[in-house]
Amino acid sequence: MNVHLQEDLSKHTLRADDGIAKGADLLKVENISLSFGGVKAITDISFDIKKGEIRAIIGPNGAGKTSMLNVINGFYFPQQGTITFRGEKRRRARASETARDGIARTFQNIALFKGMSTLDNIMTGRITLQKRSLLWHALWKGPAEREEIEHREAVERIIDFLEIEHIRKTPVGRLPYGLQKRVELGRALAADPALLLLDEPMAGMNLEEKADMSRFILDVNQQYGTTIALIEHDMGVVMDLSDRVVVLDYGKKIGDGTPDEVRNNPDVIDAYLGVPH
Amino acid sequence: MLSEIFVEPFADMVAAPDFLMQVLWEGLVSGILYALIALGFVLIYRSSRIFNFAQGIMVVFAALTLVGLHEAGVPAWVSVVLTLGVMFVLAVVVERVVLRPLVGQPDIILFMATIGITLFLIGFGEIIFGGENKVMITQELGIPTDSVVFEPFGGLLILEQKDITAAGIAALLVIGLLLFLNKTRMGRAIRALGDDHQAAMSVGISLQTIWVLVWFIAGIIALVTGIAWGARAGVSFALEVIAYKALPVLMLGGLESISGAIVGGLMIGMLEKLFEIYWGQPLLGGNTETWFAFMLALVVLLFRPQGLFGERIIERV
Ligand SMILES: Nc1ncnc2c1ncn2[C@@H]1O[C@H](COP(=O)(O)OP(=O)(O)OP(=O)(O)O)[C@@H](O)[C@H]1O
Ligand SMILES: [Mg+2]
Repeated sequence: MNVHLQEDLSKHTLRADDGIAKGADLLKVENISLSFGGVKAITDISFDIKKGEIRAIIGPNGAGKTSMLNVINGFYFPQQGTITFRGEKRRRARASETARDGIARTFQNIALFKGMSTLDNIMTGRITLQKRSLLWHALWKGPAEREEIEHREAVERIIDFLEIEHIRKTPVGRLPYGLQKRVELGRALAADPALLLLDEPMAGMNLEEKADMSRFILDVNQQYGTTIALIEHDMGVVMDLSDRVVVLDYGKKIGDGTPDEVRNNPDVIDAYLGVPH
Repeated sequence: MLSEIFVEPFADMVAAPDFLMQVLWEGLVSGILYALIALGFVLIYRSSRIFNFAQGIMVVFAALTLVGLHEAGVPAWVSVVLTLGVMFVLAVVVERVVLRPLVGQPDIILFMATIGITLFLIGFGEIIFGGENKVMITQELGIPTDSVVFEPFGGLLILEQKDITAAGIAALLVIGLLLFLNKTRMGRAIRALGDDHQAAMSVGISLQTIWVLVWFIAGIIALVTGIAWGARAGVSFALEVIAYKALPVLMLGGLESISGAIVGGLMIGMLEKLFEIYWGQPLLGGNTETWFAFMLALVVLLFRPQGLFGERIIERV
């Protein structure tokens, strides 16, 4: 392998490998408050996500979990608070910018490119890593071709990894729900994210599908060292997968710690048993 | 009477196939232009849910700018390049001044904003270029004005060279756009944004960049149709009507379908010409091209509410 190719590869892959040590702060959320008109979705929440961990965000319906992800990836701008990602503080970053900085995500209600095949959906996940266009490839072989091959290989690896070879060419609109969720994960992975945000990746799945998805999430975390923030309602899954858990209720943080600590936290137990406030 | 509607027109077509070809060719030339304009609407609609009322006036504005620059002494081809530059600036200004501040507003507000753009361009265009009609700089651009004559079936088929040029350039632009949308990174981004805004942003596609891009594409389309249509009909504010010709195309093909715009445009161009010549002129006193396409679209929608190419609409409950 020649030197240029090696350089190319290291440039494109493993954004996760960014010099932040495992276990150090990758993301820090400080005193975030967010409201919609009169509705306070998030009130003064702070927590951190350490590099290499799986960080669960749990809480009852309407607790503000999705809103929190939307703040982190730049869909919502909080009225108060700051976010520090890889040591850089930002107040207002748009979603397209945070994506380029290495934050990828999936959605509670699947958001795929319905007009495209599985392969194209996942390929589009790499759009910010691609420098040259396909048309350019048609005109100019050489460096462009090498880059193209590299992107294709990355996408094929993801397709293999998620075991979705058989639906590569299928328009995603025709896929069953569980597979759509998997394709969505694939698209997020394609960006080589430093931080992966998963909003209820297992909602609506049967036991077998849940087991598969759990395995994929663990593998991504362990094989590629990808840091993951995971919103999930299934407590069994949360306890099995996550290193640390933050618990929200009515937009406030009511617990933060390892799964065991959180499980035994009286406030958390109250929130889940529905003790009135 | 029945025979005049159902028999004679077809008998005429068979009796004089060369004339039929002539009619179809003229319909095809219009059809390609309709398809092109419809594509401009579709790209903007898909990436911003805006029905761009200003598309028509953009055609006028582009044509006026081109001719105006040339009248001011700028060489023809330099004028083309400068006009493209003006259309790009227009795209940037529209994104900055109109779209960005209004993001998240209801669709109807955005639609009304494009009416505002239309009124602005009318006023602005009149101040700079005056209200009187101009002649398209066809010859200066090197577009030939002779005719080519064929003799199919022992008959006569006359193709105007400027029509051939117009159809050729418009067809090239359509094909180029399709290649761009399917084979380039930016094109893929435009399609992705059209499919799902949130998902597109989450993979790093910037709304603002795409908006400038699709409005610039609409500007390029405006210039090309302005030249082509202006070469036939002169350059005046009446050029605007070419854009309204795209409305039935959109009703047929759907506001979101790229292939619908192309197929729909070609179909309407040819069918309205056929109808005018074989039914409209003998039976209805002619001039049916002003309304036939709308009628056709309405009739089709009666039987296929999702349009010709739309997916079947399934109500979610
Ligand atoms: N775009 C919005 N406009 C207005 N209110 C919103 C918006 N997004 C969220 N909210 C409100 O903020 C609160 C928190 O909602 P959020 O979706 O973050 O909860 P969640 O914890 O993800 O719930 P679930 O488990 O049901 O997904 C809710 O009261 C919700 O109605
Ligand atoms: Mg949610």
